Amino acid sequence: MDTSERIAVHPILGVPEKGRQVQFTYNGKTMSGCEGEPVAMALKAAGVMVHRYTKKRHEPRGIFCAIGRCTDCVMVVDGVPNIRTCVTPLAEGMDVRTQDGVTPLAGDKADKEEADGTI
Amino acid sequence: MTQITDRSMRTAAFKPEADDDMLICRCEEITKGEIRRAVYEGMYEITEIRRWLRVGMGLCQGQTCTKLVQRIVAKELGVSPAQLESAAARGPVRPIEMACMGNEKGGVC
Amino acid sequence: MERYDLVIIGAGPAGLSAAIEAARCGMNIAVYDENKRPGGQLFKQIHKFFGSKEHHAKERGFHIGEELLAEADRLGVDVSLDTVVTGLYPGNEVMIKKGGQVSHVRGDTVLLAAGASENMAPFDGWTLPGVIGAGAAQTMMNLHGIRPGSRVLMLGSGNVGLVVSYQLLQAGCEVAAVVDAAPKIGGYGVHAAKLARCGVPFQLSSTIVRAKGGDHVEGAVIGRMDEHGKIIPGSETEIDCDTICIAVGLSPMNQLARMSGCRMEQNPKKGGCVPVCNEYGETSVRGLFAAGDAEGIEEASSAMIEGRIAGIACANRLGFLEDGKAKEAVESNEQALDTLRQGMFAPKNRGKQIEKTDEGFPVSQHLLVTGFLGDDEVEVYPGVTHPKGLHPVIECTQNIPCNPCQDACPHGCIHIGSFITALPAVEASAECIGCGRCVASCSGQAIFLVNEDIGGGYASVTMPYEFMPLPEKGDIGLACSRDGQAIGEAEVLDVKSVKAFDHTNLLTIRVPAELSGKARFYKAAQQ
Repeated sequence: MDTSERIAVHPILGVPEKGRQVQFTYNGKTMSGCEGEPVAMALKAAGVMVHRYTKKRHEPRGIFCAIGRCTDCVMVVDGVPNIRTCVTPLAEGMDVRTQDGVTPLAGDKADKEEADGTI
Repeated sequence: MTQITDRSMRTAAFKPEADDDMLICRCEEITKGEIRRAVYEGMYEITEIRRWLRVGMGLCQGQTCTKLVQRIVAKELGVSPAQLESAAARGPVRPIEMACMGNEKGGVC
Repeated sequence: MERYDLVIIGAGPAGLSAAIEAARCGMNIAVYDENKRPGGQLFKQIHKFFGSKEHHAKERGFHIGEELLAEADRLGVDVSLDTVVTGLYPGNEVMIKKGGQVSHVRGDTVLLAAGASENMAPFDGWTLPGVIGAGAAQTMMNLHGIRPGSRVLMLGSGNVGLVVSYQLLQAGCEVAAVVDAAPKIGGYGVHAAKLARCGVPFQLSSTIVRAKGGDHVEGAVIGRMDEHGKIIPGSETEIDCDTICIAVGLSPMNQLARMSGCRMEQNPKKGGCVPVCNEYGETSVRGLFAAGDAEGIEEASSAMIEGRIAGIACANRLGFLEDGKAKEAVESNEQALDTLRQGMFAPKNRGKQIEKTDEGFPVSQHLLVTGFLGDDEVEVYPGVTHPKGLHPVIECTQNIPCNPCQDACPHGCIHIGSFITALPAVEASAECIGCGRCVASCSGQAIFLVNEDIGGGYASVTMPYEFMPLPEKGDIGLACSRDGQAIGEAEVLDVKSVKAFDHTNLLTIRVPAELSGKARFYKAAQQ
């Protein structure tokens, strides 16, 4: 069985139409994907399953609906949190990071204090 | 019209179940046990339970769990899920940033 | 505020069809869709559709999508993509969000064609990465060319679960099993049979107890359920899988309808809470229409016809189409819709136990439980005959609305008649020339060409084949039975790939004569 995540030739659809190869970073690590495909697909092809950890239970989440409805696959993309990676096209040089909780912005004081139990 | 209004109908004590810890609302991380307990605490309507627990009020706006919550509540109340009134639907029906909400085309506010 | 004759919410099969009819009448239309491309779910549907040949039967869903879009384009329909409708207010005022800005438009008529959302079934660990919706699997493999996993466990045996399982196999994934809480397979028997002969097991009256794994799925535990839906202690078994796919039905998208204040009803035959509509799809709010899954869960073929009816009705309401013409157009569409709503799987028969076909043949209980027909059960159906020489064998045993095979045969070997849910019968007097058109035309892949005696103690079986890699003439492999078990050696006599067959290859194998009634699939010999 073919173990790679990308379908090379499909019996009905033939060779998938994909954009050019571009590089992006995932938690600082350089990866490559196809331009224009959803960020989540590039991550899946690279074997990344965990997109975020939840706020309350700190549990991992990944792709669930893949059409932008469930919001389980949100990550921090180019510094902006809560980006639905399943409907966000991959672009050259994107900075994609695992999201922790709801608003992981470094400067978000309230969130940090809540996490520390100071409020 | 709300069809379930008799607040005296459930007086038995809450009994824990094995799968109470299972998440139902994925966004707000609300468990089956919390939803069941809410019914024993007097929340009989989906709208009440939403406000009480925030089920279905997270980022996905209840697209995943609405039917599940309805089924759990109906089972606790001993009614069919169809007898429960859905939570009120109001805009925005999709998540939208406040900045966007305030940016109305040709708007004055 | 911008004002349109018709505002359509959703550019899927229903919305686009309505737009086409309305544009033809010269209406000023706005079509909104939140996705990056129009067509709704059609572009994820790579299987051939059922239905009548007048309504796209035997065409693959994505081709139907391409045709709809081309037709809409020709008529100048402009779909506003990446546009989210966030509210529907009194006076048919629609709030939209596009590019970081909101705006309001008014439609003299508005059509709700927002489609459906997937139902979910929670179990311990269902939030783990690797547990996905069936729609997600389709999106990943059929739109983006990415396999959802290597070994997938499917929860749900309705048509979506069956079709997606087959598509997973086509994408090169393994399907560990199809699990369903119901005691019987919910979808079409022919869809189940396609899986069974590839060796996919069905586990009914069962459910997923938990997904195993640390930060992603590494397996699943399934258990058998008693009649009260409780897991029978000790019945749990472990399934090796890295992905769990949930396909437990669809619900109509109804938030906008509920917001509008139109009268709603809980209708289990329509899949949930839907607006109450008249025969034109108009809700209790004047000028507000609904079509497609948003009006009641059905197939895409029905959604397209409902869309057309709604488009015509809107045009008529605003005087773009005179009463007589509108009535005529609506009536012909309603007739077509009525045809699609017949048979065992019709919305009106949901939840009914059906023991006999319309013709009085027993419904195979084996098929409903195991996914395949018993070797002797199959003999009773009118598509299964044993004349000398080459002949079609049609293992189509349930009344479903579909008739392309009848027209496919240039020699009149296959008869269904005017009632398209009737079981196809093989005409004993007609001569089969082995062209294979019937095999390729059958959306259920239930037609085989069999010659029970080709000499030397051998028989030949021609079957539809939609997998990669394609076997080659002269290959020696394994003949498989309807349950996917290897039952003997098979030599590939011919592989026919014709453009008109649209990627359904015809694979002819030679098998020992006694296997002519059993060999229904081919597997390459293990390397």
